[in-house]
Amino acid sequence: MSAELPLLSVQDLVIEFDTRQGRRRVVDQVSFDLAPGEVLGILGESGSGKTMTTMAVLGLVAGEPGVMGGSIKLLDGEQQVDLLSDLDGVLSRKGDRVVKNGRKWRRTVHKRMQPLWGRMMTAVFQNPRHSLDPLMTVGAQVEESIELALPDLAADAVAAKAVDWLDRVQMNQPQRVHGSYPHELSGGMCQRAMIAVALARRPKLLIADEPTTGLDTTVRAEIVELFRALLEEERRSMMYISHDIREVLYLADRVIVMKGGKVVETETADNLRLGRGTRADYTAMLLSAADLPTGAAA
Amino acid sequence: MSRAARLAIAALRRAAGGLLLLVGATFVIYITIRSAPGDAIDAISPMGTPPDVKARLMAEFGLDRDPFTGYLAWLVRSLTGDFGESLVFSPGAPVMEVALPAFGRTLLLSASALVVCLILAVLASLLLGESSRRQQLLTGPLYVATAAPSFVVAVVFAQVVNWAVNVYLVQNDYVPPMWYPIPIYTESLMPYVFAGFALIAGDGLFMDFFNAVRAELTALRNAQFIAAVKAKGARTVGHIARNMFMPLLSGYAARLPIVLGGVVIVEYIFTLDGGGYLLLEASRERDFPVVVGISVLFTATIIGMNLLADIVRAVIDPREVAHGG
Amino acid sequence: MGDKHLRAGLIASGTVVALVLLVGIISPFVPYDPAEAVNYDQQLQPPSMAHIFGTDGQGRDVAMRVLKGTEAFFLPGLFAAALATLLGALSGAVAGYAEGWLRTGVIGTMQLIDTLPRLVYIILVCTILNPSIYLIAFVAAILFVPSIATVIRRRVEALGSEDYILAHVAHGFRPVRILLYHILWLQCRPMLIRQATYVFGYVLFVEVALSYLGDYGMQEPLPSWGNMVAQTRELGGAGIWPWAFPAVAIVLTISAFLAFGNLLARADEEEVR
Repeated sequence: MSAELPLLSVQDLVIEFDTRQGRRRVVDQVSFDLAPGEVLGILGESGSGKTMTTMAVLGLVAGEPGVMGGSIKLLDGEQQVDLLSDLDGVLSRKGDRVVKNGRKWRRTVHKRMQPLWGRMMTAVFQNPRHSLDPLMTVGAQVEESIELALPDLAADAVAAKAVDWLDRVQMNQPQRVHGSYPHELSGGMCQRAMIAVALARRPKLLIADEPTTGLDTTVRAEIVELFRALLEEERRSMMYISHDIREVLYLADRVIVMKGGKVVETETADNLRLGRGTRADYTAMLLSAADLPTGAAA
Repeated sequence: MSRAARLAIAALRRAAGGLLLLVGATFVIYITIRSAPGDAIDAISPMGTPPDVKARLMAEFGLDRDPFTGYLAWLVRSLTGDFGESLVFSPGAPVMEVALPAFGRTLLLSASALVVCLILAVLASLLLGESSRRQQLLTGPLYVATAAPSFVVAVVFAQVVNWAVNVYLVQNDYVPPMWYPIPIYTESLMPYVFAGFALIAGDGLFMDFFNAVRAELTALRNAQFIAAVKAKGARTVGHIARNMFMPLLSGYAARLPIVLGGVVIVEYIFTLDGGGYLLLEASRERDFPVVVGISVLFTATIIGMNLLADIVRAVIDPREVAHGG
Repeated sequence: MGDKHLRAGLIASGTVVALVLLVGIISPFVPYDPAEAVNYDQQLQPPSMAHIFGTDGQGRDVAMRVLKGTEAFFLPGLFAAALATLLGALSGAVAGYAEGWLRTGVIGTMQLIDTLPRLVYIILVCTILNPSIYLIAFVAAILFVPSIATVIRRRVEALGSEDYILAHVAHGFRPVRILLYHILWLQCRPMLIRQATYVFGYVLFVEVALSYLGDYGMQEPLPSWGNMVAQTRELGGAGIWPWAFPAVAIVLTISAFLAFGNLLARADEEEVR
């Protein structure tokens, strides 16, 4: 793996927001790599900056000024593309404050991300009920992804494939769900549909941003199991963001732990599970609170 | 039950509700007629109406009976399209023969104004983009400019045109000067165009649409499903447009009564031969059957448009029918 | 919108509102005889020290007529705003709180009133009754009850299931007290402010429009902003002062009242939060 370039390489990422109390740094010098075929878990409590980090990778940071420094390199074919390469051009110094031309930056990001969205990566968010277009059937939304991934496919093949995807995300009665609207489905079913929509796009990197938040406990377990099954079926590059250490350890190969906008620990999931090596205080606390059976390999 | 069947049932239920509203609203209009002080027939007939005409009016409006049976008789006649005969405006002609063509022009004018206003509002929202500072600077002046009643705007338009090209901007005597850029054959159209813009600029119509579009656009741009659509690399335009349509449609239906009020006076100012102008002239001449006929037409239009908006909403938004409303 | 903009808007619109209120209150105490004001030696004067808004076609002082013109709508407008707010709040609360036929009845009545085209219906009423401005204001108020009631009803319905309202119920507060104080006064106040200024603006609009049309509003020589604007008909393009100042007064007053109501409501909302 050492000779191979990482699929995603984030270096010294800084994200700031202006609030009433002044400028606040929510992501502070965050760096990590993600190798092709690797599942990277990002663990942290709310406010740790984990969601903002992922939004920056997706180019979807909302709010001013947003991303203020660092680099996010994506491996597109043989080439590494830096999503933030033009950042310096929109930053300027005004007294002791750094200001950012937000309009210009949004335009730049949009232009850069347009060919990458979907093809390179796509995302599954929290609150599945709000992730699907309420006015389209679930089937139509999966088909939209399929048509983007395979533009030459005939219409009936697209429909068949959409049903197939709904089946693969373990939906009961995929045929019926295909013609249903999001409001007719439960939260868990919406999240399965969302996962189908995302995977049908065939991204090189799937980003799952707290996909189980807001779901009932049993449904959460089902969604986690679904991710596990999908990973076993096919090796995928994935970022799995969660505040639940058990979910992260269950799914991820490697874990970064974030707190207060900083990375406090980067370690393989096996080492964390088996308690090898020395832990940062915060990670140790999380591990003891999770009350894992020692040596429990899944 | 299939969605189509549920839709049909919902549409029928709403149509029945609309009919009920129409009956109720015409009853209110009828009771208003009956509430005239003294002898109702004197209040509603022009000065010097011959006794036989008065007797006919009495019968037509059921004034010789108690309010309920009188109303029923009048309603049944009205439902057949028979609103009596015009007394003054066009003596002897059936009311609907006078009122319908004029009202059609009013509808066309209002509808065009609403459509153009929406287009302008969308364009303005897109042009101003997300820059909140620019929008804030504009809000104050726009507020003042568009809180003007449409008839004040119309008066100002008429005066400005009068001053600029020295013609009276009314439908019947409009002679553009040589240098006037708009071709001569549109001469009867120009007052309509100005009237339309008076409606758009007046009564806060544009401002309300602009605010509504902007709010919807901002909400949708920040919506999670739009982020999801973006993240999978699909175009967001279609998703945004479809989801924006619904609230705007409701806004449309809610604005209609105000636009139909504004159009009455605006038509009067430009002497456009429409339903509003007819209403005011008939009211002035005490041509009572025409006043009532046009009032019913205006009311029916509002009910009909609300019904249409409801049905369109039910067709487009799957959540509507599901809740059984 | 930031606090700074909110305050600037409140001050700007509030100044106009205060001015209108002041003028409306003192106007009845200013002696004015429209017949005596006619002076054919001073027709269509531009603004000057003697006549700050100029004079009209009959040589009457425009400023004086703008001032006296407030009487035509001031008290009727306040009356209608109060009436519509009161009736709207009560029927909205009843419809939101009650169940069964009472709720259906109130909602149905509101829908019924709401389908009447406001201005057209007012003109119909004028044709039949030739009413005073107070009756017109009354009709306008009734026509506005549904839009107020609907907003209040939605709010009451939404709040009915909120935990803290349920907690109040559990504490044994009387429903009437919860409805009137905790829901209507504490929660719906901003909306009521907004709607009240809207109704006032509408009555001003109706009065001015009817006076402009000439048949049912304020009749010459008594001044109304509407019949002053209507002077364009006789003047043609001869002078702009007689109608421009009242037109500006109409626009400024309506927009100031709407803006003031909106901003006050927003400030109130922010405080409640």
